[in-house]
Amino acid sequence: MTMDNPVPSKHRVYVRGRITDEDGARILQQVSRIISEGGGSLSIDLKDAAHIDSRGAAWLIRAARAATREGMTVTMDGARGEVADFLNLVREDFTRTPELAPQRALLLESIGEKAFAMLEELKDACRLVIDAVYWSFIAPFEGRGLRWKALLAELNETGVKAIGIVSLLNFLLGLVIAMLSAAQASTFGVQIFVASLVVIGFAKELAVVMTGIVVSARTGSAIAAELATMKVYEEIDALRGMGLSVAKFLIAPKVLAILIAMPILTAIGFIMGVGGGFVLGIFSLGFTFKRWWAQTLLAATVRDLSQGEIKSVFFALIIVLVGCHNGLRVTGGARGVGLATTRAVVMDVFFIVVADLVFALLFYFFL
Amino acid sequence: MNKDTPIIEVRNLVARYDEQLVLDGISFDVQEGEILVVLGASGCGKTTLLKHMVGLLAPAAGEILYRGRDLTKMDEEELARLLQRIGITFQSGALFNSMSVAENVGLPIEEYGTTDRELRDTLVRMKLRLVGLGNSGDRMPDELSGGMKKRVGFARSIAMDPEIVFFDEPSAGLDPIMAAGLDKLILDIRRLMGVTMIVVTHELESIRTVADRVLMLDRGRIIFTGTLDEAEKSDIPRVRQFFDRQPDAKIVEGVRFNDNGYKDS
Repeated sequence: MTMDNPVPSKHRVYVRGRITDEDGARILQQVSRIISEGGGSLSIDLKDAAHIDSRGAAWLIRAARAATREGMTVTMDGARGEVADFLNLVREDFTRTPELAPQRALLLESIGEKAFAMLEELKDACRLVIDAVYWSFIAPFEGRGLRWKALLAELNETGVKAIGIVSLLNFLLGLVIAMLSAAQASTFGVQIFVASLVVIGFAKELAVVMTGIVVSARTGSAIAAELATMKVYEEIDALRGMGLSVAKFLIAPKVLAILIAMPILTAIGFIMGVGGGFVLGIFSLGFTFKRWWAQTLLAATVRDLSQGEIKSVFFALIIVLVGCHNGLRVTGGARGVGLATTRAVVMDVFFIVVADLVFALLFYFFL
Repeated sequence: MNKDTPIIEVRNLVARYDEQLVLDGISFDVQEGEILVVLGASGCGKTTLLKHMVGLLAPAAGEILYRGRDLTKMDEEELARLLQRIGITFQSGALFNSMSVAENVGLPIEEYGTTDRELRDTLVRMKLRLVGLGNSGDRMPDELSGGMKKRVGFARSIAMDPEIVFFDEPSAGLDPIMAAGLDKLILDIRRLMGVTMIVVTHELESIRTVADRVLMLDRGRIIFTGTLDEAEKSDIPRVRQFFDRQPDAKIVEGVRFNDNGYKDS
């Protein structure tokens, strides 16, 4: 392949033989040099080009566009046979300028768009809550049925199977809390109050938050992934297409199951957390079982325990509704399912912590 | 019912996803007892049309009348009653993965009040035998091939003896034998049960086998309605192109690179 450039301002690039990757790069170099020398017209002579591959053609397109951008008139002359056919196939790439990246929305506009999207999502969420409440608590009493089999399966999945991990994590957390506070308490010689701290801490706060996080990771993510997958595979459409209620079939059993399971799991978590404190108090701090037990009973109040249980009911609702909401909103395929699941768990934890704060304030002022 | 009254009338249906206009004000009728094939290139809005016609998607504008009643204005209960008389077979079958084949088919029967277990089982087996899967009731959906899933989906859609069946892509992705089997099944069911069917497809062979009438969509508009014969003889370029299996013109025609050169300015 050779090139020459006889007349200034009416440039000509002569291409011979095969046009592949390297030759293409050289054509661009040549054209760039012509561009830098100033405008005019450019003709790329292809009459002796025998073969072109897609990389060669891409370089050619790239070079032609670069020249056109600088205001030059570009012509390609004399392509024959195979080369002409190939270039004809990709001819649109010569003329069509690459699509501009979508114009970035103005700040105000994008805020507005986000706000509308959030409003839409909020509307969806409200509809979901109304449906869920109706099909979980009202419809069964109106004789419109409840899917008992599904409820039992969900209870097993959400409740029974979570007992192990909830127990273990709360026990370990109990140990950790006792250990940390014992170090502090020992400076004042009041290690026995570690028992109180563990009981109060787990009753009001730690058991329910720990259990909430475990359940959102186990069940919240599972709910979102299951519904999202069903949506992607048109199973949700199939259900609705039969005139059946998604809320009745899929949501109500989950709502009821988690509402039953969460308080029980929280109670188990509380017992295991306190158990963790016991282990440390007796085996490490050297108290007798009786002494530690007496202090534990002294500190435990129905009020604190009920605070934890009340919160567990609300956390349960957060987990199941956030999971369903994200699952049903999914768009796209496998990627959408992954995103929905992630979003569900992140929202769960966020709302659990926010709700916890709200409850802390409410209990502080009103209880 | 008068045979000439359409069972479904679609009036000026407009559908959009976000900003994108998918159906641009289309109108047509479906006559009782006919098999209407909705055809068109991939992405022309066939499935979107189907989902609007059964109320799964809400139209941006327009009406969908079932024996004169507008589906878009129905409340939830009326829509549910209507949907009991409609069967839908989805592209992938859309079987519930957690339920066996028999449970899938039996679900609408059970939910719409057939509590007698034996009757239900009999019905389920009858429907499964109709689609040639009489012995597969106990299998789970993930043990079935694509064609079997579609047939189970079809069995489920005719479980309630519907008046109207919508069938999305019966033969897409199936081998020719399986596809031909499904086409025959569609004709058999129509003959045996007298249902009206709306079949969405772009498979030429299927269209030629099952269609009483075809409706062709292109870029969100109806470009042809008529009998199969009329369609095959049509001189509308896009319809011709479809039945002759020709690629888009812009790829094969146009300016060639030759001695006249290529101009870009």
